[in-house]
Amino acid sequence: MRRTTPAESTGGCGCPDHGSGAGGSGGFSRRSFLKRGAAVAAATGLSGTQLATQLAFASTPTYTGDTVVVLSFRGGFDGLSVVVPRADADFAALRPNIRVPDAALLSTGDNRFGLHPAMAPLLPFWQAGTFGAVHAVGQDNPTRSHFEAMEEMERAAPGSSLRTGWIDRLLTARGQGTSFQGCQVGDTRVSSSFIGPSPELGMYRIDDFNLSGSSNSTELAAWSTALQGLNSGALAVIADPLSTTLGALAQTGALTDAGYTEANGAVYDTTSDLAMSLRDVARLIKANVGLQMAAVDYGDWDMHSGLSVGTLDPTQGWMFDKVTELANALKAFYTDLGPALLAKTTLITLSEFGRRVEENGSHGVDHGHGNAVLIMGGGVVGGQVHGVWPGLSAAALNDGDLDARTDYRNLLGEILVKRCGASSVSSIFPGLTYAPVGIAHP
Amino acid sequence: MSYRTTGALHLVRRLTYGPSPTLMADISRSGPGSWLEQQLSPATIDDSVCDGYLARYPRLKWTVPQVRAAYVNGGGWEMMEMLGGAALLRATWSKRQLFEVMVDFWSNHLNVTNPSSDVWDSRHDYDRNVIRKYTLGKYSDMLWASANHPAMMRYLNNADSTKDSPNENYGRELLELHTVGIDAGYTEVEMHTSALVLTGLGVHDVWRPSNQVQDPKNGLFEYFPDDHWTGPVSVMGWSSPNATGAGGYAVAQSYVSYLAHHPATALRLATKLVRRFVSDSPIPDLANYLAKVYLANDTAIVPVLRALFGSRQFLSGYTTKVKRPMEDLVSSLRALSILPDPGVGTDGLMALWYQSDTMGHQPMSWAQPDGFPDIATSWQSTNGTLERWNLHMALSGQWWPVNNDPKNPMLQAPALKTYLPTTLPATHGALIDALAQRVLFQPVSAAGRDAICVFLGKTAASPLKATDPAVTWRLGYVIALLLDSVHHAMR
Repeated sequence: MRRTTPAESTGGCGCPDHGSGAGGSGGFSRRSFLKRGAAVAAATGLSGTQLATQLAFASTPTYTGDTVVVLSFRGGFDGLSVVVPRADADFAALRPNIRVPDAALLSTGDNRFGLHPAMAPLLPFWQAGTFGAVHAVGQDNPTRSHFEAMEEMERAAPGSSLRTGWIDRLLTARGQGTSFQGCQVGDTRVSSSFIGPSPELGMYRIDDFNLSGSSNSTELAAWSTALQGLNSGALAVIADPLSTTLGALAQTGALTDAGYTEANGAVYDTTSDLAMSLRDVARLIKANVGLQMAAVDYGDWDMHSGLSVGTLDPTQGWMFDKVTELANALKAFYTDLGPALLAKTTLITLSEFGRRVEENGSHGVDHGHGNAVLIMGGGVVGGQVHGVWPGLSAAALNDGDLDARTDYRNLLGEILVKRCGASSVSSIFPGLTYAPVGIAHP
Repeated sequence: MSYRTTGALHLVRRLTYGPSPTLMADISRSGPGSWLEQQLSPATIDDSVCDGYLARYPRLKWTVPQVRAAYVNGGGWEMMEMLGGAALLRATWSKRQLFEVMVDFWSNHLNVTNPSSDVWDSRHDYDRNVIRKYTLGKYSDMLWASANHPAMMRYLNNADSTKDSPNENYGRELLELHTVGIDAGYTEVEMHTSALVLTGLGVHDVWRPSNQVQDPKNGLFEYFPDDHWTGPVSVMGWSSPNATGAGGYAVAQSYVSYLAHHPATALRLATKLVRRFVSDSPIPDLANYLAKVYLANDTAIVPVLRALFGSRQFLSGYTTKVKRPMEDLVSSLRALSILPDPGVGTDGLMALWYQSDTMGHQPMSWAQPDGFPDIATSWQSTNGTLERWNLHMALSGQWWPVNNDPKNPMLQAPALKTYLPTTLPATHGALIDALAQRVLFQPVSAAGRDAICVFLGKTAASPLKATDPAVTWRLGYVIALLLDSVHHAMR
């Protein structure tokens, strides 16, 4: 009578982070529920391992590495619908209705895989080698709960009792940065990867990061003077964030006042939260405010039903819409940055888990394990699908799911080592046996 | 014990969610000593107004099987949303303020993240029958109740832990977080043994066929003797032959009780209480003393609190605790005498719940099992600072979530002019002083007063007329600035 997992295989896993009740009240979106905010820098004190990390970065007092953008596909991204195994009889048998048929796939130059047709705007970047993918990536300890999987992914320290997030450990190791060193863009609530002592910033939009009651720089100056007077003599825990907040407000205010014109004819879809968040990331990169780590959420991938419409038709449905928005937003971001800034920018997508290989009865896929990761930037080794491909035969599957052969932390680790000047990642990802996959140019 | 009258504000700021005109009148009438004794016996405090507000959430009294029968398709965040709204409601408007502060303390100590998927049906019951039931009782009772609750069993995966496939999550956190702490010296083998001892504690879980959702035990805690690992066990000086599955429940109870009474647990809880009520920095002497009181009283918490609040270290610790975001939110509502909507609505309460999430401190929502951090450096952030300032302006300006719209009622605030003294002060400086007394319950610093005067384009000596901005359209701004001051930031 116990432990019967609710409806896991019948088109809904019954858990509320994607149950029918979610989003039904208060106008609160499902996406919001898929992330618990952590607008807190949880000080835990520096452990021995964290101190060791500081040494790893000791030779780079001023950060000169890439800006890394972590794009979180919350909800469980079906990588098999985007980086699609082609001419694969196992896949065809398990997904008779909702797979992208071979004829519709875009060529990756690798006859094992094709790209979803909605990825067409990114094909030139694939061919130019600044866009690529890694397949069969996952977490060490598979869980199929969104919540747990997301928390574990962002903690990135399985088997340890660390309570910090990996981005925080990284920023802590690097030492003093700017107010903008770590930014969640598109949401004031920051990801759990930022939990820990290093300060970070969460903003919905640059133009939206402002002080209520103050509508221009003159008024902001008056407020600033008053706020400083009202907190004169305060403890450092009050005085320090007060001054960094006023500084950040002055900077975002100046950016807002200056306005923004995209470069190179880039066009961001103003109705797309993702596009507008990436536009702000590009603005921050260009403004040279010290942005080291940017986190952007692009959720709503929990496609238990309606992944596609009709049979073997990838041109309409939930997946088509999501990938179209993604491809257009990334294309605008690439274009806007241009080659010089792209050379100093690396973007990686992460999702808490992949989807089951076998489709369910609702034109959807349930929670799975191994997944595809997308990488872009001037320093990535693009134009190919990296990783060890286990195949989809019954023997190769992990509990019905694509097996994970590459620990996602090794992808992050490789970026940190080759693009960001880290000499070691052992204390950012404790317990990881570092094994670069070859996704980045040193 | 005796408290100097001048200590009343200190007592109120540390033991409650912040002063309000009503609370300050109450404590002034009864005296701090007897006010504290009432707070330690919350049943003696008439809380009918808050109870009346809570009637807006009747479903929170449902049992777990009732919830599962009502949400027959599973899932749904409504119960957890209501619990969150009720938590803020109680923090803001309950007169049993110390009780509510301690509910928050225990909710974090034995954290079960709300909302999170596994506990959609049970988290409200955990709040009622584990946390609130034993908040001022014995910790050993609360800990065992948590080990007997489906919310904890699911949250830390003990519901999936069997002799054949033990899941170490709960066994580990029981040691690391709930009792002795990570530095207590237990080994990995003992940690694994901890998980084995707890196998069999699980949840009676029925989903299909759907008619069985009506099972009266659906979703409740259950002990499964066949899943219990048997054989000799020992952890940190406790041991048992643990010979049978049928006897396993009593073995687990003995183990959990042993841990609740362990000196390392006593010291750990005492240290956390000192951190909550006295100082971000450890005070080992005080913690050691409180740990002795805890053990001498069979883990009863009231004697520990009484000793804590009577300690020299507490009485002298005037300025070393900073409000966390939710405490700032609730204390602002209390200072401004804001109330729920006059009808029976919950939209305003839900708005507070979302606001607390935006501020990163939604009650019970910390995503990891260790609970929200409780020291100021953990919370110093650019975002958090801006969110506080913007919150103060929204509340003081009566922009949001305060309104007087009968069609879409949110929270209700008194008319702005009611914050003014009945006789208009003669100068701007005197006005700021009077407003500070009203919303901060203490004088503002001279530097702060002057800063607000400069903001208004005045000096402290500038005469005040009834038509001046400071008492008309700028009044809400002045109050917001006072709430932005260091005086309101401190506990």
